[in-house]
Amino acid sequence: MKSSWLIVGLVFAAGLLAVALLLLYSLPLEISDRSPVQPIAFSHKVHAGANGIPCLYCHRYAPVSSSAGIPALADCRACHLFISPDSPEIRKLMAYWDKRAAIPWVRVNTLPDHVYFPHMMHIRAKVDCSVCHGAVATMERIGRTATLKMGWCLGCHRRHKASIDCWTCHI
Amino acid sequence: MKRRTFLQLSGMTAAGALLAGCQSKNEKLIPYLIGPDEGVTPGRATYYASSCAFCPAGCGILVRESEGRAKKIEGNPDHPVNRGRLCARGQAVLQELYHPDRLQQPLKRSGARGSGEFTRITWAEGLGLLTAKLKELQQEHSTDGLALLTPQLSGSLATLVTAFMRSFGSSRHVSYELLAPDWLRLADRQTFGQAGLPFYDLAETRYLLSFGADFVENHLSPVQYGNAFGRMRQGRDTVRGHFTYIGGRMSLTCASADRWMPARPGSEGALALGMARLILEEKLHDKSALAANGLRPEELLGRLKPYDLPRVADMTGLAKESIAEVAREFAGTGPSLALAGESVAFQSNGPESVRAIQLLNMLAGSLNRPGGIYPAAAPSGPDNSFTQLMALIESMQAGRIKLALIKGDPVHAIPPATGFQQALDKVPFCVSFATLLDDSALQADLILPDHAALESWGDVEPLAGSRRPLYGLMQPVVMPLHDTRQFGDVLLAAASQLGGAPAAALPQKSWLEFLKGTVAKRVSGKMGEKFEARWVDLLRRGGQFESNRGPDNVYRRASASSLPDPARPRFAGDETQYPLHLQVYPSSAFTDGRGAPFPWLQQLPDPMSCVVWDSWIEINPVTAAGLGISQGDLVEVASPRGSLRLPAVIYPGIRPDLVAIPLGQGHKGGGRYARERGVNPLALLVLVEGSEHQPAWNATRVRLTRVSKSGELVTAGHPQGSYRSDLIGI
Repeated sequence: MKSSWLIVGLVFAAGLLAVALLLLYSLPLEISDRSPVQPIAFSHKVHAGANGIPCLYCHRYAPVSSSAGIPALADCRACHLFISPDSPEIRKLMAYWDKRAAIPWVRVNTLPDHVYFPHMMHIRAKVDCSVCHGAVATMERIGRTATLKMGWCLGCHRRHKASIDCWTCHI
Repeated sequence: MKRRTFLQLSGMTAAGALLAGCQSKNEKLIPYLIGPDEGVTPGRATYYASSCAFCPAGCGILVRESEGRAKKIEGNPDHPVNRGRLCARGQAVLQELYHPDRLQQPLKRSGARGSGEFTRITWAEGLGLLTAKLKELQQEHSTDGLALLTPQLSGSLATLVTAFMRSFGSSRHVSYELLAPDWLRLADRQTFGQAGLPFYDLAETRYLLSFGADFVENHLSPVQYGNAFGRMRQGRDTVRGHFTYIGGRMSLTCASADRWMPARPGSEGALALGMARLILEEKLHDKSALAANGLRPEELLGRLKPYDLPRVADMTGLAKESIAEVAREFAGTGPSLALAGESVAFQSNGPESVRAIQLLNMLAGSLNRPGGIYPAAAPSGPDNSFTQLMALIESMQAGRIKLALIKGDPVHAIPPATGFQQALDKVPFCVSFATLLDDSALQADLILPDHAALESWGDVEPLAGSRRPLYGLMQPVVMPLHDTRQFGDVLLAAASQLGGAPAAALPQKSWLEFLKGTVAKRVSGKMGEKFEARWVDLLRRGGQFESNRGPDNVYRRASASSLPDPARPRFAGDETQYPLHLQVYPSSAFTDGRGAPFPWLQQLPDPMSCVVWDSWIEINPVTAAGLGISQGDLVEVASPRGSLRLPAVIYPGIRPDLVAIPLGQGHKGGGRYARERGVNPLALLVLVEGSEHQPAWNATRVRLTRVSKSGELVTAGHPQGSYRSDLIGI
């Protein structure tokens, strides 16, 4: 009698473990902040949306380098010396400049170290920025829209008939 | 608190901790304050061709640079010496640039010598101090009171230094290096009548016999010979070259051999002559080669009479059969090649032994043929810088040297038995051109810090790297990080401030201008527009690797050359009191100690003992058992000169009558990673002057005593568990 209970208990525990492992595998464990608060409330909606500034005006290295680049503090300041210099967020910007400190932006879109993602190749293939970055022009605060998982990358590569060789990204 | 609440609470805490651990923090993206200049694209690398100046082998390198920072060093595939390969030491040169303890501006001593107390001064003050001291010497008409100590220089820097010293009027430029191949140049001069170094065609040989030459780790041009060794073994479809190693300690090179013959220290020359006699007796020698070198077999055999097989077997402690077998194989397998190494040369009979090994090459007809030995197009160097060093030490002790300029770290790398360290105390003013506060800089009164190698202009003539003349250029890949100046620039500035003969001899404004001048002369052009284009092309390639001048030099025995006759080796220390031989060998990570400041090299496990971040002594298991020493014990090594304490490594790959300590550790300075780490075995060595006034650094006997269990040996892995001692036992 007692041993049968023990067996049932063991089977139950094993099942629970299996379900837990399955959950661990399937659940999105990457729980970093998808739309973190930034040190300055920079609005892409105002810059890219309302004012229609092209992405590559500020992220100017995207067509030539693997990293798209964030504008240097001096570039922000060059415009904002004249454009709404008195708004509180611009005052924050100028305070960083006065301290000669870089703005510690919080990274939103990130890939693991074993993935090589070159921006320039995607720009050259005429992939629109919004395919990966979403409708940035409507975002008040930038947020991640894509999963950035390997399956998602492969789906797009297959649709565009791009190489899906391992060495394409994992070099 | 109730038991139930406690359990609930602790469960919640654990779950909370687990969840917090899963939460990955978003990274920060730090932009530039001011964007980079045109031509710099963040995320895109630029590659610069340059040359490695870590050791005299002078391999070609490619440095990856992005965002104005040097990131990675690899070998230059177009360079004939290293063919795209690079050793761990060459890769670690990056850490010289970013070393946190680099000297960032000129310093003047404020405390006692060796205390490490310095005050920061400007370059104007530093240069002023230097030229004031130089002018003082000129006014006292004692310009010979200036001494300059450097490593063995090549290329334009050698020209500049010579011109500076000559125009100033001092003859005391000493370029002594413990591991420099002076002994090999001497042997070449005595046997072949030409000072130079050999180029071994390892890749094409079929039978390689190394007498203690550790060419995979350190000997002459290790990257080149390591690569050539691979081609010798696997590069040909039909033959796999055979390799026999002779020497008391199993090095990494030896571990790659087919046969190991652990000859008694100092008996290698006798072994070579024993083999020579056997080859002649059995008429296995190359008759035409012998005739071409003016040797008659009968006469030679008569001279080699004392080296009969039983006697040689007795002297070397090897089996008669194996000696005979190796001799027959060596003579019967063409092309064959015999190499002599440092552990043979640093015996009291070293120079004779090295010439005995050269005789083997003559007998086998290995001179000037594929798979044999050619004269290398190496820059000429000193035959015996040791005698120069001893002469300098004598004048220093007599107080005749008033000003010493020091490049390199002689305080660490010269054995104290020479008296150099005490003699340096008698020099009233020392100037160091170090990049780190090394042992020599600690003794200096003025430090004028040099650029790191990756910030420097320069040129390199690879040592023994090729039959054809080769020429590598060094170019800066980053802007200088600190307020430092290149050694050449400082010498030129001093010359122009001195005026007179030095300023007339060295009118160049900068080291770069001087360098371009010598390069222009070398590529047989003149300075001008045409040369500028050529110069840019040379920089792009990393130097000049092709030469229209063919290798015209050949080896032929000089008729005046006497036959080698190695005497019985002499050793310092009484055999009963000091029963063991001591071998100091260049560490595969640090060579003579110049690599010790770099943490990558400290972390690099020794290929044979797996030790990291420390010094150790290798002891045969039989000897260790007799003394009650086990792996990791702290032992005291005593020689007639001094004693040191260090951990023991029980190593089956060493003769029972031999112990070995690697060079390179035991710095007093050299930055946070090298300082006070391990011991410097040079402190144990007794000065034994061998034949031809060459120093015999492997002729010291020692005694071992176990001190305690706690040697604090750090190894990566457990060599004790993985050694197949049954395979390598003596």
